[in-house]
Amino acid sequence: MKKLFAVLTAVILCVSLAACGRSNNTSDNGETVNLRVWGAQDDQKVLQTMIDSFKKANPDKTYNITLGVVGENDAQKRLLEDAAAAADVFSFPDDQIYDLVNAGALYEITRNKEQITSRNTEASVEAATIDDALYAYPATSDNGYFMYYDKSVVSEEQAKTLEGVLAACQEQGKKFFMDVSNGWYAASFFLAAGCEVELGDDGKQVCDFNNEDGIEAGEAIKNLCAHSAFVTGDDAVFTGGIGGNIAAGVSGAWTADAVKQKLGKNYAAAKLPTAKIGDEDTQLKSFAGYKLIGVNSSTKEPVEAMKLAEWITNEENQLLRFKERAAGPSNKKAAENEEVKKNIALNALAEQNKHGVSQRGILATFWSPVEAFGTAMENKDYSQSIKQQLDSMVKDITS
Amino acid sequence: MKSYKLRRKISDTAIYALLTLLAILWLLPIVYLVLQSFRAENGAYTEYIIPKGFTLDNYIRLFTETDLFNYPKWYLNTLIVAIFTCIISTLMVLMISYAFSRLRFPSRKTYMNLGLILGMFPGFMSMIAVYYLLKIIGLGQSLISLVLVYSSSAALGYFVAKGFFDTLPRSLDEAATIDGASRNQIFWKITLPLSKPIIVYTALTSFVAPFADFIFVSVIMKDNYNQYTLSLGLFQMLSRENIFAYFTRFCAGSVLVAIPVGLLFMFLQRYYVSGVTGGAVKG
Amino acid sequence: MNKSRRAPKVLRYAAEVVTAFAKGDAVTRLSFLVMGLWGFARRTFARGAVYLFTQIAYIAYMIVFGGKYLVKFTTLGTQTQGKVFDEELGIYIYTQGDNSVEILLFGTLTVIITILFFIVWASNCRAAYKSQLAQKRGEHIVTLKEQIASLDSKNYHITLLSIPTLLVTTFTLLPLIFMVLMAFTNFDKAHQPPGNLFTWVGFDNFTSILGGNDKISYTFVRLLGWTVLWAILSTFTNYIFGMILALMINKKSIKFKKGWRMVFISTIAIPQFVTLMLMSQLLHAQGGINILIQQLGLADSPIGFLTDPLLAKITVVIVNMWIGIPYSMLIITGILSNIPEDMYEAARIDGAGPVRVFFKITLPYMLFVTTPYLITQFVGNINNFNIIYLLTGGGPLTLEYYQAGKTDLLVTWLYKQTVNEQNYNLAAVIGIAVFIITAVASIIVYNRSAAATKEEQFG
Repeated sequence: MKKLFAVLTAVILCVSLAACGRSNNTSDNGETVNLRVWGAQDDQKVLQTMIDSFKKANPDKTYNITLGVVGENDAQKRLLEDAAAAADVFSFPDDQIYDLVNAGALYEITRNKEQITSRNTEASVEAATIDDALYAYPATSDNGYFMYYDKSVVSEEQAKTLEGVLAACQEQGKKFFMDVSNGWYAASFFLAAGCEVELGDDGKQVCDFNNEDGIEAGEAIKNLCAHSAFVTGDDAVFTGGIGGNIAAGVSGAWTADAVKQKLGKNYAAAKLPTAKIGDEDTQLKSFAGYKLIGVNSSTKEPVEAMKLAEWITNEENQLLRFKERAAGPSNKKAAENEEVKKNIALNALAEQNKHGVSQRGILATFWSPVEAFGTAMENKDYSQSIKQQLDSMVKDITS
Repeated sequence: MKSYKLRRKISDTAIYALLTLLAILWLLPIVYLVLQSFRAENGAYTEYIIPKGFTLDNYIRLFTETDLFNYPKWYLNTLIVAIFTCIISTLMVLMISYAFSRLRFPSRKTYMNLGLILGMFPGFMSMIAVYYLLKIIGLGQSLISLVLVYSSSAALGYFVAKGFFDTLPRSLDEAATIDGASRNQIFWKITLPLSKPIIVYTALTSFVAPFADFIFVSVIMKDNYNQYTLSLGLFQMLSRENIFAYFTRFCAGSVLVAIPVGLLFMFLQRYYVSGVTGGAVKG
Repeated sequence: MNKSRRAPKVLRYAAEVVTAFAKGDAVTRLSFLVMGLWGFARRTFARGAVYLFTQIAYIAYMIVFGGKYLVKFTTLGTQTQGKVFDEELGIYIYTQGDNSVEILLFGTLTVIITILFFIVWASNCRAAYKSQLAQKRGEHIVTLKEQIASLDSKNYHITLLSIPTLLVTTFTLLPLIFMVLMAFTNFDKAHQPPGNLFTWVGFDNFTSILGGNDKISYTFVRLLGWTVLWAILSTFTNYIFGMILALMINKKSIKFKKGWRMVFISTIAIPQFVTLMLMSQLLHAQGGINILIQQLGLADSPIGFLTDPLLAKITVVIVNMWIGIPYSMLIITGILSNIPEDMYEAARIDGAGPVRVFFKITLPYMLFVTTPYLITQFVGNINNFNIIYLLTGGGPLTLEYYQAGKTDLLVTWLYKQTVNEQNYNLAAVIGIAVFIITAVASIIVYNRSAAATKEEQFG
């Protein structure tokens, strides 16, 4: 009698599956254009405003544009889970561009390419370009980091050198914050020492953080972590402690609001200080990142999606994004705006970006090993020499 | 005799002291959570433990500022999912465990072992597959899909309930069979009324499960914020860009989740015990 | 043991089908081709119709959906994404290539459905022959109505188990097979849809874990060791300390028993992930506990509860105790109040002291009752993703391991491999390993435990 059971199972399976094949066909209601946009939680409001103005500017068609919350950091992960069901237009940081292009998820931008490349800063366009092909629309140029400090503790002069900052903090029993166990920040020492990390011709990561310069950088990180005024943690630790027991810290423009709120009139920001690497005082470098707007290669409405992406990243909307979200524009004209130039955090970032290194050649394999090294330094785990640790780190990065 | 009494007194005092200490240890995080939920200052980390200012704002804003984080909607979603998961998985667990405990059929043992090991399978790897299956069935980002997934995983936790049915005397079934009752009637009219502890236990555990999971929800719902459940929603509040502004609201939201779940456990604890021990302890 | 019994059963079934064909008449033989035909010829229309409908549904399924995936199943797709420049629009037009994930998944689904279909087909063949014999002997052919009626009693297990089986097959078994198959492919970051295809690579991933790649196999062995240690520690610390707590509260001279229990039970109310995230906040270098310790002058610098390799391991075990002890206390309290009084009586008459009574009576009884609970706990702890992921994130990361930290369990490593590194194939191998370990362990323990052997005791 088991057969009846089998029959039932098979029938139910078949019917349910056969019946459901249809759900794949999306119905096109004449002229309605369906688009989905992904952006970070905080950007939803400003994106909605842009979408509304986009609809107004294109009255000849009916648009049905929906917003989804997917922050830049998750964009790649979310998109590749199921590209067909993902957004048509989405925001992502430039270090995801290689992986996205390799996975075939980004639409190559050819429409109005000239205008896009001429309107935005060279570096931001470069961040969106691979082998002369443009794959995304530059939206902001603020995905980098610099130093915030408490003017009442650290003087402008002291803020110029890491030693000065640390000494000033120590004197008043305060701390200097830097998330060294995060590859993004830890890299600033290695980059300053003259090490390089980039994409090799075979598509693998090339990294020389374990050469002699790298070891000097590693020693500098070790010394920083061993300093009594040093404190580590994530952004939440920084925003929680700044103005209290933290007097200076390395972070990005996204914490500007929180830091400003805490420091009040003592709010100040500057480029990263110089640090003693080897025997020399060297300016710390940083990754200079960009937020880009990409078009999904699986989109059903490529032209409309490109129109919208271009709209979102035009001068006006970059300024709007600055006003609402304090985002640094990548658009040349918008970047020259008076308001933008007066912004303390963005000013510091712009200064730092002169010592910025593009992060678009960084693959995802880079982060964990550097984090592991940083963690060992923070834990003052010296069971292996710096050289050994860095060798091991580089081996993992390049594997 | 006196020394005995003294010794007992000493040991009692020691126990009281230890219990008090433990109670403090266990209550501290809860007190901390409640304190933070009333904290007026923003931010996740503070350099002090007692908030400087107290406010009800965190609670109020959960329900008034819903354009970004729709807490009431998430609460509703969670309740809907929890209720349906509870009904379906309780029914299924009872059906499976009754069949394994009381009915004898070919390959019963194989079937049982299969169920047992399938239940051990770490769900992460299968999430992509589950997602695609739900999508093709047309359930994509719906609450029904959550109910289905939770219920099917709950179904594999049958062996606690089976242990319970094993302890029910079989003579009742036999008497009913002689009276001409069918298996179906025996199940509904004789066995189930005797199984209150295990029903309550299964219902309780399956009701609580949707309050805890955040990974499956994130894989299934992806960018669809309005379909999130509480746990994923609250989890989002602690993401890098949100934690400064939302930490205190996260605490408030958690307290509001804790109250109903806590009440359920308070009232149903004896069933929980009797369920988990497979009926060895009567509820 | 199951296998040896299974194989002949399948063979017997096949033999019956062959016999049916050899000895069948025209109608029976034609029913091999057109299922259910015998039903129409021999006047059991309903059963015939069910079979015929199944066949039509299967064919429709294959045409509409399954066929295209089955064809590509051996290669997992050959057509890559392409793009052609459209001069008029000024953009490239992308053509969608094959999606290997979908092919693997729906191909597997189609294989399962096909196997099910063949089982139905075989049952159709047997039924055709049986009906032929019955007709020849002038016997009654079982009708669909009678078969449905038998679901109420004789075949009640089918009624009870079909829906759960369907759900579990779809949402657990099929994904499980999918995962196992994924371990035999090169599905990793470089082979992701929509732009790329992946394909079968045989046992390559297994060899790389088992020694092909030093660091990966070293990481695997070390994490396996920690996973097992963790599962043992976390299960037994909760059990033992829960027991001690329950015994303390249960002591006759202690007052406010209910109140004490309430205090501990109230912690169950807070969802686990909330507790964990809060704890991770509290135990952080800048968190509440470190602030308190420093303010009290117990330490000069923050203590690395979550970042020191050894301390982090201790921390996760202790936090797990905070979460788990209320449960085990609750359960053990329940059992304590249920130990038959006469068992104690007998022991006391024998002159046993309280310690002896505990070890001779209380403990054995407790273990007897809670074995299934302990097994679930143990397995649950092997796969205890939440506590590690939310508390330490697997950290502190170390360069000794391949993208893993000191407190990473195999499952959290697996999760990171899929989510952060997109090494789906490697993750699948880890998943299989975890699965085998837990499955074997629990099958052995469960089938030997009291719960399985006592199953007939009331019968």
